[in-house]
Amino acid sequence: MSSILSPALPTSSFPGTANASQEMAGRDSSLKPCDLLKKIREFTRSLLVDLSGGRSLSISLDRYRNYCTDPSGKCYCSSDLPKGKEILSLQRECHAYRLDVLLRVLHIVQQLLQENKHGSKRDIYYMHPSIFSEQAVVDRAINDICILLKCSRHNLNVASVGNGLVMGWLRFFEGGRKFDCIKSPCTVHPVPVHVEEVTGIMSIAEYILVVEKEAVFQRLANDKFCSTNRCIIITGRGYPDVSTRRFLRLLTEKLCLPAYCLVDCDPYGFDILTTYRFGSMQMAYDAKFMRVTELHWLGAFPSDSKKYCLPERCLLPLTAEDKRRAEGLLQRCYLQREEPQWRLELEMMLQGGVKFEIEALSVSSISFLSEMYIPSKIQGQLYI
Amino acid sequence: MIIFRKIKYLLYPSVWHFYLQHTQTCFQMLYWKLTTMADFCKSSLFYSDKKLCYAEILPPSVVRARIEVAVLNFLKILNSPNPAITDLPLISRTSNNSRVSRGLMTDVSSIFLSHSFCTRSLMRANAAKAFVRVWKVMEMCFQLLTEEKRVTQRELFYKLLCNSPDYFTSQLEVNRTIQDVVALLHCSRYSLGIMASSRGALTGRLLLQDPNQETIDCTACGSSGYAITGDLNVIEKLVMQSDARYIIVVEKHAIFQRLADDRIFNKIPSILVTGKGYPDIATRLLLYRMSRAFPNLPIVALVDWNPAGLAILCTFKFGSIGMGLEAYRFACNVKWLGLRGDDLPLIPEESLVPLKPRDLQIAKSLMSSELLQRRIAVNDSERSKGRN
Repeated sequence: MSSILSPALPTSSFPGTANASQEMAGRDSSLKPCDLLKKIREFTRSLLVDLSGGRSLSISLDRYRNYCTDPSGKCYCSSDLPKGKEILSLQRECHAYRLDVLLRVLHIVQQLLQENKHGSKRDIYYMHPSIFSEQAVVDRAINDICILLKCSRHNLNVASVGNGLVMGWLRFFEGGRKFDCIKSPCTVHPVPVHVEEVTGIMSIAEYILVVEKEAVFQRLANDKFCSTNRCIIITGRGYPDVSTRRFLRLLTEKLCLPAYCLVDCDPYGFDILTTYRFGSMQMAYDAKFMRVTELHWLGAFPSDSKKYCLPERCLLPLTAEDKRRAEGLLQRCYLQREEPQWRLELEMMLQGGVKFEIEALSVSSISFLSEMYIPSKIQGQLYI
Repeated sequence: MIIFRKIKYLLYPSVWHFYLQHTQTCFQMLYWKLTTMADFCKSSLFYSDKKLCYAEILPPSVVRARIEVAVLNFLKILNSPNPAITDLPLISRTSNNSRVSRGLMTDVSSIFLSHSFCTRSLMRANAAKAFVRVWKVMEMCFQLLTEEKRVTQRELFYKLLCNSPDYFTSQLEVNRTIQDVVALLHCSRYSLGIMASSRGALTGRLLLQDPNQETIDCTACGSSGYAITGDLNVIEKLVMQSDARYIIVVEKHAIFQRLADDRIFNKIPSILVTGKGYPDIATRLLLYRMSRAFPNLPIVALVDWNPAGLAILCTFKFGSIGMGLEAYRFACNVKWLGLRGDDLPLIPEESLVPLKPRDLQIAKSLMSSELLQRRIAVNDSERSKGRN
């Protein structure tokens, strides 16, 4: 650590160290690099002050979660405040290792900010691969640093590889470059990685369609869905990554359009739906900026199999893993509190013991999905 | 050979100088040289072409016609004086049937599949279902081609599952049967009406124009680059312009993104392409079209120092056995830029990871294939380091 020792302060004033006062400052994702560098310096200074004062080194990290398994409904998961603290001290060996990793990653992040460069989590791992025994260790350190400095991951100049796709009646600028999907609404574009640099969003769409799988996205592209329907289609290709979630959130905020989600009728699809809607546990500290509260579940529901006369063959049985996953999902407190209808459908799925994929709907007619299913559901408001 | 000798003389400066003094003769000679060289180049693969089997990209009407011919053939033999149920001869897609062709006057070598057949027969008890599956898929594809629709492999699975539940139980069976149909009809998967998306991305000093659409400047595509479309027809028709000096093929998406972020194509005028791992057909087709459109640009590859990286490099360069029927023509002359054995001193000791059993398996299969016979020295050095 290359900080300069300043004259000892009477008490360390950085929140999160042993003698800190509670700071209720909210999370601000529009931090500038100089602010963050200042915070890093203050943090390191307060650690040194603790050490030179003969006090044991300890860091307290806020704990965040966006759901718990408490069925009573009296938990505080819906608020974005931290729920409890975790104290890292040198007295436990696992904590000492975690502190070591955290400080090393902090040093690397400081260099990235000073040189105005971006790095990926993998790049950071490769800087000391013998000390960082695996990638997950680096990921956790980065999350801890975000919690400590009260910022989002992109503020640390840690960028991840983008995995989402978007198409439709949309135009936006990213870092000075224009992406005009309006002229050719059926052209597919990757979701921009640096979402904070996206400006000038303009659209004449009526709604946003969020799709789980790339195959369904491709089917809609092939059927030229966007030519006949004024909408924006976005997919995360499975579990959505951070930039896809942020981009979707940005679109719903700026354009005030309703968003509908199309996932497979299985516990895996339902999990992806909750990730878009509530955020993931891993990134719970940043959930405020990544969840989309106005997301509606368009399909596929377990009841759709009867309604659209799906052949028996296409209904696959739930595996043991699926049942475990569904049971785990049912226990999440936010479902009972905020989306009870979703919970009912999931229960029906578990009771029925079968699952099916979106592609099964196209068995009778290839364009069934784009010509009948989606438009009729949206017009008939058959979403929950 | 006479042609060889004549060409040899034409290449000697002194002889050329002599010809310059006799202008008319000179022009005749020049014309003759160019035509023979062109013919020579075109014919250089003719000897190995005899052994080569390929699947073409055909229009729907031709594919339907081939399916009809297969059916008529079957019926003819069934109706003959000695009625029998014919076996279906499929080009065998194993390493025994694969060969490497090394172009005589070009730098391009590729894998191709030869004429060895395996059969699907109704007469063998265990394999009877495989025989019926091929017919079922041909029927489904015929229907799709008549309706002029495209499906993904998953959608095809569901259709077949509902139509013929006794024969299709998993996606894997459908995928294998589709490859059987490709091997039977000698037409590409894309011609059968099956669409696939592409994972590849592109950025750098390249201007792409879809006919009737706007020109796309790939320098302005952001750090994710231009997403390569899975539609092979569209890629065939793209018009390309570039002022780059190199084409850099990158194995990993993360490295591609880092290079695009750093705008390396402005410092070294180049085009960056990635397949995000093993490249799919669309990425390879686009790279092939670029190598044809800009024959002077060297294509270099940046892969990890491990057997999988080398295998990916070989897929770009030679093609693969699995798609040996379709993809042999997309082989390009790709050079290995890095990481190489002599780059190892640049890498800190702690980043080196020991080779896993899977890595050794890939290395062994590469060593034993004909592809790298001339490059034994490189492989040996890789094996001796035993490091990843």
